[in-house]
Amino acid sequence: MKILKILAIALATACVGGFSPLAAAHGERAQMPQVRMRTVHWFDVTVSATKLDVNQILVVKGSFIPSDFWPTQFPSAEETAFLNIGVPGPSFVRLDSRVNGVPMIRSTSFHPELQYNFEITLKARKPGRYHIHPVINVKDTGPLIGPGLWVEIGGDQAAFTNTAKTLLGQDIDLESFGYANAVHWSILWAVVGVAWFVWWLLRVPIILPRFRRAAELGANADQMITLGDRRVALGFLVLTLSLIVGGYMYADDKWPITTALQAGKIAAPPAQRPAVPLDVRMNEARYRIPGRSFRVALTVTNRGSSPVTVGELDAGNVRFVNSSVLQVKPADADDLVASDALHVDGGPVAPGETRDIVVYADDALWETERMTTMIDSPDAIVAVMLFFYDGDGKRYPVEVGGPMIPVFG
Amino acid sequence: MSAVTTNTPAQVADFRHRLDITVDWLVIPLVIMLFAAVFSVHFALLVGDWDYWIDWRDRRWWPLVTPLALSVIPGVFGYLLWDRLRLPVGGTLTILALSAAAWVSRYMNFHGFGGFPMDMVFPSTFIALGLILDTVLVLTRSWFWTGLIGGYLFGALIYPLNWPLLAAYHVPLELHGNMLTVADLMGFEYVRTAIPEYVRIIEHSTLRTFGGVVTPLTAVFAGFLTVLSYWFWVWIGSLVSRTTWLRKII
Repeated sequence: MKILKILAIALATACVGGFSPLAAAHGERAQMPQVRMRTVHWFDVTVSATKLDVNQILVVKGSFIPSDFWPTQFPSAEETAFLNIGVPGPSFVRLDSRVNGVPMIRSTSFHPELQYNFEITLKARKPGRYHIHPVINVKDTGPLIGPGLWVEIGGDQAAFTNTAKTLLGQDIDLESFGYANAVHWSILWAVVGVAWFVWWLLRVPIILPRFRRAAELGANADQMITLGDRRVALGFLVLTLSLIVGGYMYADDKWPITTALQAGKIAAPPAQRPAVPLDVRMNEARYRIPGRSFRVALTVTNRGSSPVTVGELDAGNVRFVNSSVLQVKPADADDLVASDALHVDGGPVAPGETRDIVVYADDALWETERMTTMIDSPDAIVAVMLFFYDGDGKRYPVEVGGPMIPVFG
Repeated sequence: MSAVTTNTPAQVADFRHRLDITVDWLVIPLVIMLFAAVFSVHFALLVGDWDYWIDWRDRRWWPLVTPLALSVIPGVFGYLLWDRLRLPVGGTLTILALSAAAWVSRYMNFHGFGGFPMDMVFPSTFIALGLILDTVLVLTRSWFWTGLIGGYLFGALIYPLNWPLLAAYHVPLELHGNMLTVADLMGFEYVRTAIPEYVRIIEHSTLRTFGGVVTPLTAVFAGFLTVLSYWFWVWIGSLVSRTTWLRKII
């Protein structure tokens, strides 16, 4: 029997610990591709350091463009949104968060097709290795997670400091401010409460004798409450009310200047974007499941002065790169870059020319990042961000989207 | 000589006394743990974030939602303890149990596991509200007056009761050209990925025509609603205490 128990425990441990994948990130793969491809397009996301110590500063920067193909099934970022950072708990504290230079302390709105450049300043608090993502929380939609990068914090959390200065000139330590005061008041009330309970507990045994007596007295059970009980109750009531009033007066005297919790929205101005001298129309999108191949047929009109070609296709934070146009290496093992996965049929589009081209993004990342479930979308529409490059290496981001047809054979 | 010995009345009384004490020792800790568990789940579901975070305890919703949710368990169990045992401890004991469980949870889960500083997540204090219910019940021996007086004070006094704990976090400061309170700053700095700023419900309401007075107005309304809530849950307690339910099951 003992051996059976040991075997059962070993089997359960192996099932849970041995075969479970490591849960070290933020479940970005769990979001349906429709959400990842058609809500926010993130790009140029960087971190200022991949290794730092407690108390050192980390800056997370990048840009995003809300999609013009936002699913109608859930509310858009035009209503209420908040620029956030995805880290496991307060492993960092957020000192600043800006969109195009405007502090994003509170919620805001982000509009489709406009570009927003963000910068989040963090201070390392808790040693460990963390996968950091920029996040946009959209009211009634949920978190929209940006690309993740690994950052390692060294040092000792005990050395962490986080201070602030109030408008009254007081320097405060946010790690412990007001806590001792809260503990003292909580203990005081606990003592008074326990004292009341002890008054009744003193006459142990109480349960069965009082149950029998109450049943015996029936409608006259109030006789069990003695004059002494009533006097003590009056004393406790007076003490309680006096402490509440006294505590309130004490607090008003100690902190005479206070204000309401702050909420509301802040306007986020869009960034100035250089004009894109391109008209791009998506004619067809097909995803061939066996080959993990995404094919987009486009009609491109080049109104610029230099030939352009597609250098990168971004779909739900996965970057498919045309290696003949640019070289991109993954920043770490989990950076979702397919460095040589984009091929263009049709060649560069010359100035003044309108041409049909076909873009192929073929890589196993479609499968490993669970993007293949896009065929289960309730409206079968996809959107991707294309980065065109001209002869001078100038980049033009263009979003295209429309119906997608799966190919099963 | 008979093999059967007869216990004297003194021996029977002594045995019964020892049995009563044993029942107390077994049942009282179990009941306190039951109160802690039931109240914690109930409070987490109905109040939750409003009491978890220092930057959620606003002047309008926190003092309204909290007493309404908080008066349920003292109403039900308070009736049972009074009706069956004439013990006026339902308010104080249930809230003491909730407070103990809340402190353990905030320290172990929010601080130890989650990593948040305790000054951001400590629980509010409600024990005085339970004391008010119990002492008014002893003095009036009436559910009507306990609900009317005790219930009203229960709802109305939640904010002034906690003001000595919360006032320090409402001191204003400046961050990047914006005025915040200390609590707002903590909420901004200590990252909560799953709790964006807009999830907080800060003073969403109408009735702004009383010279800017927010807290007293909320207190009056909370007191009124808590009277009704307390009466209702005492009534539920009276239904639960009927042994007809038990007889039907058995």
